[in-house]
Amino acid sequence: MSIGMNVDDVVEARRRHNAVLAAEGRRKHSVAVPLGLLAILLVLPAIQMFGGYNYVLHLALYTFMYVAMASSWNILGGYTGYISLGHNVFFCIGGYFSGMILAYFGVSTLITAPLAGLAAAAVGFLVGLVTLRMRGPTFIISSIALLMVARILFDNWAFIGGANGVTLPQLALDATWMKVPYYYAMLVIAALAVWTSYKIKHSKFGLGLRAISQDEVKAESAGIDTRFYKVSAFAISAFFVGMAGAVWGEYITYLRPNIFLIILIAANMVLMCILGGKGTVAGPVVGAVLLIAFNEVFVATLGSSEINILGTGVIMVIVLLYFPNGIVGTLAQKRRLPRFLDWD
Amino acid sequence: MADILQILILGIALGGVYALMASGLTLIFGVMRIVNLAHPILIICGSFVTYWLFRLYGLDPIVSMPIAAVVLFCIGIVLYKLVFEREAANAKYSEMTVLLTFAVALVFDGLLGFLFSNTQRVTSPAYATEAIFIGDVFIPKGQLFAGIASLVVIAALVLFLQTTRFGAAIRATTQNRAAAQLMGVNVGLVSLVTFGIGVALAGAAGALVSFIFSFFPAKHWEWMAILMALVVLGGMGKLVGAVVGALVLSVIAAFVGAYVGSTWSTMTFFLALFVILLVRPQGLFGDKLEET
Repeated sequence: MSIGMNVDDVVEARRRHNAVLAAEGRRKHSVAVPLGLLAILLVLPAIQMFGGYNYVLHLALYTFMYVAMASSWNILGGYTGYISLGHNVFFCIGGYFSGMILAYFGVSTLITAPLAGLAAAAVGFLVGLVTLRMRGPTFIISSIALLMVARILFDNWAFIGGANGVTLPQLALDATWMKVPYYYAMLVIAALAVWTSYKIKHSKFGLGLRAISQDEVKAESAGIDTRFYKVSAFAISAFFVGMAGAVWGEYITYLRPNIFLIILIAANMVLMCILGGKGTVAGPVVGAVLLIAFNEVFVATLGSSEINILGTGVIMVIVLLYFPNGIVGTLAQKRRLPRFLDWD
Repeated sequence: MADILQILILGIALGGVYALMASGLTLIFGVMRIVNLAHPILIICGSFVTYWLFRLYGLDPIVSMPIAAVVLFCIGIVLYKLVFEREAANAKYSEMTVLLTFAVALVFDGLLGFLFSNTQRVTSPAYATEAIFIGDVFIPKGQLFAGIASLVVIAALVLFLQTTRFGAAIRATTQNRAAAQLMGVNVGLVSLVTFGIGVALAGAAGALVSFIFSFFPAKHWEWMAILMALVVLGGMGKLVGAVVGALVLSVIAAFVGAYVGSTWSTMTFFLALFVILLVRPQGLFGDKLEET
């Protein structure tokens, strides 16, 4: 008798739980907010007609760059669960690929950025074939080793200027509109990266990636070609980072290994993702905006890159210890996620 | 022939120091399954302790080794209590823990860079620039003394692990944490003390690093990849493995440095890391990590 009662209870509880899930599924995802945000950002450069707001544009552009890179990193680190601490290698490859074309042939990186992305993705694919055979800590270590290898190669390769780097020509625009082409380029890259990360999350491919992050052996035995999935995720996540690097190189008008290959850039990508919530679509965006705002305050008040590294580390420790799911993840877990942040 | 002997001796002397640098890392991993990416920056902390003792009081770096070790032991205990206690109780490898040590490395990197700036420093005891000649072979005293000091510390560590009750507890926890706990080992205390000892070993290594290499806070990223190559070759968590790995790679790097170029000498470690991890895709970490 009592057993029958219990089964009914369980069935009833499950029905209620399913109803809650269905209600959540029916609830419209926030599409208006990201699109509205994009629309506002598209017309933002018009403020240049009313005065010099180059700093605002620079900050927005810088944020777009990190949104693109953190979203990109999220595809590998968030969905697939492979933490790469050397992802700025692809930033560097993208920057140098397009930058060298600009230096030797005079073709703007704004045109060649997709090629730079493809070059980074190709390198990512090849590196991934080797390093993604490792799991857990070994992969993380290999990503740091990759960064060190890249640093030595770029520092010693005379054709691309070695440690001194190369200077790139500037666009022939006056100071008011100088930043605008790069602004739009970065905006497009960031929007594409976020859109791609959304699309991947809602595809069979993304489901496979998340299965890998849960349990790779089970994913493999469920018929997922884990190797191909992982390496593809690695290549895709290298693609956008490479594109961002290409535009960034021309924007700052010179290339040098110690601009691209410093650990702080990789650390930022990781921290933004974790702070916002890894494995969510909105997380890297939220993380990038917050961290850049924070960095600006830090640099403006204390003005030292060492303090910046220290601050990054302290935030990272606190987030990892107390909110490992990040802002979006923690809110979603408590079912308190506001509609405007629900981009999944 | 003398050339080869020469390179071999230099390689072994440096290998001894590398072994000391890696020993703390491998010890901590053995007991707590934490890949401590903050280990290299803690070595540099030890170098700074030694550097200031040398600058302010003229204390010999080898003499200040125990002081650096004690200071770093205290830092290690504080770090453990503040950051790693919860993770250690978990006793399973997790990506989050590696990121946590990475974040700690950033904190120390930023702090040391802010306090002392990123300029190259080196302590210069008289013997750092002297050498002993045996026939055609010359042995720099600095590297010789550092190598000997390293081996003495490692020998003391092995003796401690093999002969004392607490050492046995550490070894038991390394082999099987749950079983050790069932046998009445206080694994919490073992983790705490092991973490302290591991960090203290970093401090001792830092004292030696201060006069055989120049150091600055941001250098630890390079050390990180080098140390990982050593411990991965030997088998993570195994002290003997770390020593053998350090000696082998150091000798290879010395030969590469002599015959190919000093840039490629550092590269040896990174490429070796890739090759080792490729030849055994699961890594020489063994099977313990697979169960996460």
